[in-house]
Amino acid sequence: MANIADIRNEFLRDEIEEFLERPEEIERTVGVFAQARPAMQDIAAALIEGENDTVDRLTRAALDDGIEALEIMDDGLIAGMGVVGIKFRENFIFVPEVLACARAMKAGMVHIEPILSASGVEPLGKVIMGTVKGDLHDIGKNLCIMMLRGAGFVVIDLGVDTSADDFIDAIEEHEASLMGMSALLTTTMPNMGKTIEAFIDADLRDDVKIMVGGAPVTQEFADDMGADGYGKDALACVELAKNLLSAEVEVP
Amino acid sequence: MTQKIDKAEYEKRLKRISELFSSMVVHADELSTYRCPYKNRLDQCTAKFGCRNQRRPPVKGDLLLCGGDDKLDYRSAWETQDEDGGAPGR
Repeated sequence: MANIADIRNEFLRDEIEEFLERPEEIERTVGVFAQARPAMQDIAAALIEGENDTVDRLTRAALDDGIEALEIMDDGLIAGMGVVGIKFRENFIFVPEVLACARAMKAGMVHIEPILSASGVEPLGKVIMGTVKGDLHDIGKNLCIMMLRGAGFVVIDLGVDTSADDFIDAIEEHEASLMGMSALLTTTMPNMGKTIEAFIDADLRDDVKIMVGGAPVTQEFADDMGADGYGKDALACVELAKNLLSAEVEVP
Repeated sequence: MTQKIDKAEYEKRLKRISELFSSMVVHADELSTYRCPYKNRLDQCTAKFGCRNQRRPPVKGDLLLCGGDDKLDYRSAWETQDEDGGAPGR
C-alpha cells in the first residue's frame, strides 16, 4: 500500500493532509500520486494552485521529455483536478478558484490537442461563447465553457459585453458552426434577439446553431427570439451542444 | 512529434473529466443559493460588475472585498446599470 511519504511533491503531501478527510479518497489519491513521476506531481500541484503558466510550461516540458500524453492527463491534469473537486465539495475553495484550476487544465491540454489531431482524434466541435452586450456576468458562461471543454469541445471564449459584430466576426474567423450566448439581466436579454437578427442580416443565420442560457432566460424566450436551443444550466449546455451538432450532421 | 493517442483511451479520460466537472457544477449550483459565486475563498470579489457588497481592500491594488454575509440574497446587491445607463462596471 502506498504511503504519503512516497509522494515527492511537498505541496501535494500538504494538500492531502490538510484537505482530504475520507479514508477511501486519501488512499486513492495517495496511490495515484505515489506512483506518479515527480514531473506529473508538479503538474498536478500547479493545477491545484491554478497556476496556468506553470502547467503550460511543465506540460510542454513533459511532452518534450517523451512522456505519454495520456500519462500527463492521468497523473497530472486529471489527478490534480480530482483534488480540486474534493476541496470544492468540502467548501475549502469556491467557484473562482475552480475556474482558475480549469483554466490551468486547459493550459496543459493545449499541448495535447496537436497530438490528438495528429492521431485522428477530432474535437466534438467548435463553440463560440460569450455574454451578450451590456452584461458583465460571466460565472454561468464560464462554467458552461469548463463543461464543454471537459466534454471535448474546442471553445472560443469572447468574454463579457460581447456585441453582435464580435459574435459574427468570431464565427467567421474560427469557422465555427455553434455559438452560445448568456445573459443574467432581464435588461440585457433582448440583446440575444438582436444578435440573432444581426446574423440574419449578415446572411449567416443558416450557417450557425445558436444556443442561449442564463438565469432569466426560458425555453419560451429562446423560442420567441429564434434561438436553436436553450440550456438551463452548464450540464444542459453540453447536451444541447452535442444535440445541435449531431442534428447538423444528420440534415443533408 | 511521434506520439499517437488511442481515441478510445482518450475518450475514457474525457468521460472522467466530465464526471469531475459535472459534480462541480452541481455543487456550484447548490452553493450559489446562499453564497455569491463571484466570492473567492479569501472573501474577495472577482466580479467585473459593481455590487453594493463590494468593500475597499486593505492593500491598494488587491481585489475588492465582499461584505456580503451570505444570509440575504446577494443578487439584489448587484448593480445592473451604471450612472451613464450603460453596462455596469466598477
